[in-house]
Amino acid sequence: MRCLTGLTGLVAAGMLATAPVHAQQLTIWHDLGDNGIAWFQRMGEEFARTRPGVTIRSQSFPTEQWFGRVIGAINTDSAPDLIFNNYERVIRVQSQTNRLLDMRPVLAASPDRTFLGEAELRVATYRNRMLIIPIQRVQMALGVRKSWLDRAGEPFPQTWDDVQRVARKFKENPPPGSTAANTFGFALQAARPRDLIHMLDLFVFGSGLEHTLIDPAGTITIDRPAHARVLQEFLRTYTSYGFVPPDTINHSFTEMYQVIEGGRAGMFRVGDWNVRRWEQPNTLGGDFVVGPWPRFEAGRENAVVAGGMRGVAIPENSPNRQLAQDFARFMLSQPAQQASLEVMGAFVRNDLNVSALTPLQQWFARAQHRLVPSDFPEATHAWYPELEAAFHRRLLTGIANPPANGDWSAFITATAQEMREAAQRLSRNN
Amino acid sequence: MALSRLSATLRLLWRERIFYAFVAPFAVITILFGIWPILLSIQVSFTASATALRATPTWVGFANYWTIFADPLFTTSLWRTLVYTGLSVVANLAFALALAVLLDSTLLRRGNMAIRVALFLPVVTPDVAGYVVWRWLFDRSFGAVNAGLDMLGLPAFGGLSSPATATAAILIAELWHHSGFYMLIFLANLAIRDKQLEEAAAIDGATPWQIWRLIILPQLKPALLINAVYATIQFLKTFTVVVVMTKGGPNDQTNFVSYYAYQLFDQGRYGEATAMATILFSIIIVLSLSMLWISERSGTK
Repeated sequence: MRCLTGLTGLVAAGMLATAPVHAQQLTIWHDLGDNGIAWFQRMGEEFARTRPGVTIRSQSFPTEQWFGRVIGAINTDSAPDLIFNNYERVIRVQSQTNRLLDMRPVLAASPDRTFLGEAELRVATYRNRMLIIPIQRVQMALGVRKSWLDRAGEPFPQTWDDVQRVARKFKENPPPGSTAANTFGFALQAARPRDLIHMLDLFVFGSGLEHTLIDPAGTITIDRPAHARVLQEFLRTYTSYGFVPPDTINHSFTEMYQVIEGGRAGMFRVGDWNVRRWEQPNTLGGDFVVGPWPRFEAGRENAVVAGGMRGVAIPENSPNRQLAQDFARFMLSQPAQQASLEVMGAFVRNDLNVSALTPLQQWFARAQHRLVPSDFPEATHAWYPELEAAFHRRLLTGIANPPANGDWSAFITATAQEMREAAQRLSRNN
Repeated sequence: MALSRLSATLRLLWRERIFYAFVAPFAVITILFGIWPILLSIQVSFTASATALRATPTWVGFANYWTIFADPLFTTSLWRTLVYTGLSVVANLAFALALAVLLDSTLLRRGNMAIRVALFLPVVTPDVAGYVVWRWLFDRSFGAVNAGLDMLGLPAFGGLSSPATATAAILIAELWHHSGFYMLIFLANLAIRDKQLEEAAAIDGATPWQIWRLIILPQLKPALLINAVYATIQFLKTFTVVVVMTKGGPNDQTNFVSYYAYQLFDQGRYGEATAMATILFSIIIVLSLSMLWISERSGTK
């Protein structure tokens, strides 16, 4: 009897001891593919050290499907605990649901946030609500095929004149196995609204200018002399210069990557997330060098562009809201950020160990170059996406029907006027 | 009176109970998976997008319809869809009919079956794979189309990158993919026609052209009708070829209604997207019924 009582006591004690450790799962939806799944798995393991029994389940969707799934799930109260994506995509989710949590109190409760700068916090804010906690800064540099540069006898291009000269040499002296007809100076994209403007952002911010289309005061900038010069050269790059494949007008991410990885273009955008893949032998095999975007005028300092900010957001109807907030804060911690650097190549902290990375990865990780953030106009003008869509259509119309003499001045002046009218209308209606 | 009518109906149902028992499962499936989603989609078009999927959506009446008709991109897209459909139906049916007549004639005795199989093969080829290959063929830097034209000393074809030629380029790709199916329907109709009429006409001195126009063509009316209705529905809904080959470009030249609605779906603008889908659905129904009605009227004459 005494033995039985003892056993019962042991079982009861065991049950009491394990009672707080009950399994709990957090679900996060993103579009980062296999790398993202590996990153969340690693973060989940770290998180579980302080939160036994908690598991992180991440699901990756193609970007286009991610929107529909997230918006649909939030609107039908079947939302995941957290969502992770670029700030402008989260803004689109908020504009269609209006049900994302204000992350200011969540971030305020984090002991570890001093490394987040003013620009990063501004990006995260939309209609006076902080939608994301910034987790990964997205750096975009100019990449050039190293063997192509060597063959052309050129150093890394620093000015727009250098870029033009190098692009022509690439075409005149194609790599072995290619012809001039299928070799190009640049790989760019244009098909979707964000594609073309993102490319223009790189040229504008990378050349030391600010505000691609509109400044924080609501003034259209594209016909200012320095901006107009960049825009004119940008449009010529797509048309009369022949630096890009003729089908670029229909190219989105996939096709642009086919051009780059297929060895058909010598210069291209390199995001920090591209490096790991492009160091593999079946892609570029590490045969590229990176640097800042070219400057268009003497006296300006060219730069690498911080062209995006990925962050974590929480739907108001998140099933495990409190735990989701804890995990969102954890994503800023040193172990989580170290995992982000090593698996994704992007981060926001400045105290990470970069010694295990390859030289190209270290170039981004050390960020010793001049880094200029895009101005993220969505955060200032809530109606910016509609203005941007109108600007994109206008630019596409121009690229599809370029002026016969190659002079874009009249086009740029007319476009600026059209954008001013559109901005006035949109700001009135919002 | 009403009671006796009900009783007669019940007696009829009981008498034909075996027939209705067999039909019932398919009727249920059609209602559940065919009609019900369409009705739900129409319902969504009268709600505010942000609340469309909630249990108690906000009803906005015809607001989504006003919004899309005020959008010049949509009206242009609708017009382009109608023009593209008209061109595609005519091109596909004419091409398929020509092929069918050629294969049915005595001119192609040898290898007839092999040619039929070759022409039908694109129909069973996965459309995405086929269109990817066409995209490469039209590519202006390495595509076979321009390489061939260059060899012949002909000017380059703008293909998918020029607004002037993009519609023609996807029409050609769709012609390759679909015309084999229409050809098969024409061939089936040609096989069951009354050949004695042609012999009689020949004896009476009719020319081959008169025989074809006045004897054979009228007998092909069932195939023409089926193909015309089916092709109209198919090309009004043109989608896959656009996704794979142009993404609506260049400069919205191939941004047909189905693709435009899909883009809005992606942005969570369900109300406007389903309003577009409803308009497209209505056009398809009206056109299809009109074609059947016109055909029946001309048939009775």
